[in-house]
Amino acid sequence: MLMPKRVKYRKQHRGRMKGQAKGGKTIAFGEYGLQALEPTWITARQIEAARIAMTRSMKRGGKVWVKIFPNKPYTAKPLEVRMGSGKGAPEAWVAVVKPGKILFEIAGVDEEVAREALRLASHKLPIRTKFVKREEIGGESNEG
Amino acid sequence: MATLKAVKREDHRLSVTNKIRKDGLIPGVVYGKKTENQSIAIDGLELLKILREEGRNAIISLQIGEDKPLEVMLHDHQMDAIRNELVHVDLFAVDMDEEIDVEVAIVIDGEPVGSKDGGILQQPVFELAVRAKPNNIPDEIKIDVSSLQIGDVITVADLETSTDYTIFEDEDTTIATVLPPESEEEEETEAVDASAEPELIGAEDKEEE
Repeated sequence: MLMPKRVKYRKQHRGRMKGQAKGGKTIAFGEYGLQALEPTWITARQIEAARIAMTRSMKRGGKVWVKIFPNKPYTAKPLEVRMGSGKGAPEAWVAVVKPGKILFEIAGVDEEVAREALRLASHKLPIRTKFVKREEIGGESNEG
Repeated sequence: MATLKAVKREDHRLSVTNKIRKDGLIPGVVYGKKTENQSIAIDGLELLKILREEGRNAIISLQIGEDKPLEVMLHDHQMDAIRNELVHVDLFAVDMDEEIDVEVAIVIDGEPVGSKDGGILQQPVFELAVRAKPNNIPDEIKIDVSSLQIGDVITVADLETSTDYTIFEDEDTTIATVLPPESEEEEETEAVDASAEPELIGAEDKEEE
């Protein structure tokens, strides 16, 4: 599963997820992509599940790019433990995702195959997403 | 040449700009080497229609109020990533006798022979930097990939040259390649212990102390 190799601090504050994504809002590598429409934390497990769903659906044809990385640790206290006594232990790694972010990109397959692969991937994620195509300005609508 | 009407924008307050957008117009700016900067507002749908018909690098005759029409090109644009709407446009007043640098889209034509053997066509570059006079800018650069086998590469050096324009990219830049199919082993990643923690930067130094 994805996680950083080295970190400076074991635990982080939770932070806020205001506004839209600052970068990574356009398709950079592939031809088709999956764009987030809501802010959320996406865990390393969810990213991995989505990636496997996509590669299996494409029967190993085409190429997949994962554009997000879980670089934020989140902590949790064990069950039935009273509040206090410091922050919990790191539980998992998450990627902070804001609306507009392209989560995955696909190339080397037909639009139909890409659409199906990204639809399956979207079911592994906790947010609403939309299918987007690489288009020139003035081209056909890229929403799907 | 397509004609586009524009109105001058005098008030640059955000509230006014937002009102312009609400009215269906798009705020923009016109600039050029021999033209003074002017803030304008244009009909976004009209602009998109022109770009759809004549391409990304279309020359547009821009009529600002009662002024003399300017020959402009779309130089830059900002989109709302979620709504997929234009937010702002930069129009560049071009001199028809002077060469300019633009980005021209690459269009891949045909299906590579290598794809039938499981190869994956990959296109790392989608636009090429081209220098040409405004009238000689190609709409697109077509590349035929039908003869590509697995492992074959088309680079900028393989493109046909034209007297109308010069391609400003490194000759070794890969435009299209057919990659061998990925093996099954690569897909499944190793099961990693979920409770494993990454190494702490600076932790070793503290232990040594």
